[in-house]
Amino acid sequence: MKVGVPRALLYYKYFPLWDTFLSELGAEVVLSPRTNKRILNLGTGAAENEVCLPVKVFYGHVLSLKDKVDALFIPRVVSVEGGAYTCPKFLGLPDMIRALDVDLPHIISPTFNLKLGLREFCCSIFELGGYFTKNFYKIISAFYKGLNKLRNFEGLMQDGYLLNEALTGRLSPTPKGSLHIGVVGHPYNIFDSYVNMNLIERLKRRDIKVLTAEMIAPEIIDEIVSNLQKKLFWTYEKDVVGAVFHWLDTKSVDGIIYVLSFACGPDSLIQILIEHEARKQGFSVPIMPIVIDEHSGEAGLVTRLEAFTDMITRNKVGRL
Amino acid sequence: MIGYLGVDVGSVSTNLVVIDEKTNVVSYIYRRTMGEPIRAVQEGLRELKELLPSKIDIEGAGTTGSARYLSGVIVGADVIKNEITAHAVAASHFVPDVQTVLEIGGQDSKIIILREGVVVDFAMNTVCAAGTGSFLDHQAARIGIPIEEFGAYALRSEAPAQIAGRCTVFAESDMIHKQQMGYHTEDIIYGLCQSLVRNYLNNIAKGKELLSPIVFQGGVAANLGIKKAFEEVLETETIIPKHYSVMGAIGASLLAKEKMREKAKSSFKGFSTSDIEFKTSSFYCKGCSNNCEIVKIEVEEEVLACWGGRCGKWEVEQTGTTPVS
Repeated sequence: MKVGVPRALLYYKYFPLWDTFLSELGAEVVLSPRTNKRILNLGTGAAENEVCLPVKVFYGHVLSLKDKVDALFIPRVVSVEGGAYTCPKFLGLPDMIRALDVDLPHIISPTFNLKLGLREFCCSIFELGGYFTKNFYKIISAFYKGLNKLRNFEGLMQDGYLLNEALTGRLSPTPKGSLHIGVVGHPYNIFDSYVNMNLIERLKRRDIKVLTAEMIAPEIIDEIVSNLQKKLFWTYEKDVVGAVFHWLDTKSVDGIIYVLSFACGPDSLIQILIEHEARKQGFSVPIMPIVIDEHSGEAGLVTRLEAFTDMITRNKVGRL
Repeated sequence: MIGYLGVDVGSVSTNLVVIDEKTNVVSYIYRRTMGEPIRAVQEGLRELKELLPSKIDIEGAGTTGSARYLSGVIVGADVIKNEITAHAVAASHFVPDVQTVLEIGGQDSKIIILREGVVVDFAMNTVCAAGTGSFLDHQAARIGIPIEEFGAYALRSEAPAQIAGRCTVFAESDMIHKQQMGYHTEDIIYGLCQSLVRNYLNNIAKGKELLSPIVFQGGVAANLGIKKAFEEVLETETIIPKHYSVMGAIGASLLAKEKMREKAKSSFKGFSTSDIEFKTSSFYCKGCSNNCEIVKIEVEEEVLACWGGRCGKWEVEQTGTTPVS
């Protein structure tokens, strides 16, 4: 059975797990191509007008896959830890796709909700495995193999490799770089080089070492977040807040670029939280927000990046 | 006499400046881009040459503005810099202790925060051009008052009308409404200035500490109504530099001068470059499904520069003149 996985949204978080699990159970995993103009146009044409750009991109990936596979894998990821949810859009993702007015293959959409406890979570795993095999042990073994892959992937990022390198296994030596810039935001924005107009590559070409939230130990992030006045509702935004606060605190980067997508609900709240903290710290580390939307004009991005890196470089050498 | 050329090609205006060895402005040109950056630069160069003393050697050239790469190829720039850096350099040249630069241009507006002569923060307008020069231009045309007289009208206002500044479209319907109600044109115009300033301070300057000395530059600084509106809200004086409309170009010339300290010979192609026919063309690359739109600049079949591609495939070997980052 050919199972299609859209290269979008949570792909950037869990693909090693999904890929291994599905393959171990005998499915042939088909990944959609990297986002390109056609996929973006498909997505923006089909999606609800009000969703954020990354969700529109997800639509595009689904549509580019639909005729090539027997089933689409679109899990409903509600919660991945106790006491916190994922973005509301992820909760309704399979429904949004089903509501499309096109012929779609079967959609496999197990619900993962750790808020309901481990037992429920295991039931979801078995339900998903049940599509492919009735063998209980095979499902457990596939899941653990997948989990191992996921830990490896996360470990590589902890070692300082960028997400796209850790995901493809094509590791390149990290450039030393005279400048260190932290790039935060949702991985599906930072590592989809089409939607962010090659942001990471542009920084690397300027001999800048790029750091991301994934490189910071989860314990550090958890500790920072636990000191917040109020608990954060969303798991993935925790990484953003934790990373920025950590960098502000340790001054381990020369500047921070915060990539957010237009019409993202959680981002709009997190941004304020970050601004407050930065002000409290006296703006000791410059932060530049970059909002991405479906406009493809590069000029604005290029000017901002140039001005930002110029500012930091000239600051360092003490020249305006 | 030695001179340094600075060229700033923006969405609305194209400015060229020549400064001398002592960084005095020798001559400058401010003209409209009219959507034709190449022609604007070439004709600007021609006009500038007329103004300059005959015995001047241009020993460095810099470009800035949204068409900085294009104009960089045409004039042969030694340095190509973004507008933020150029404006900051120029502002702190004239007002060395400047802490805040308000810059409002044709289609973008920016704020630059400096502390002790160093840029520490900046912001540009994001997705919307409300609150920029084009907005005023458009409204001036609608009311039928030349934009040059806008400021004078605004200063005569006694009871400014409340105009929504969040969005050009809403501002316009607000204005029409106020006109129909019988408000004075002066009050509507000053109300418009106030709404633009509100929009600027709430969006671009949001969360920033605006300390004086504050320099206000860019084409819109010509409008005394905006200056007054800024000063009312900020409760402090704003300094409008003498050459407020060409500060970007001055910044580029200063940067060119700085660059030439470490470079032996300028790449400036001379004023005769205004007689060369530059051909631009664009095509869709069929290399992958991105179908990037590639822009090509040629002189007599020789490709000078290419850009627009997502990958490096079309980049012409010419260090510094292609937008690598």
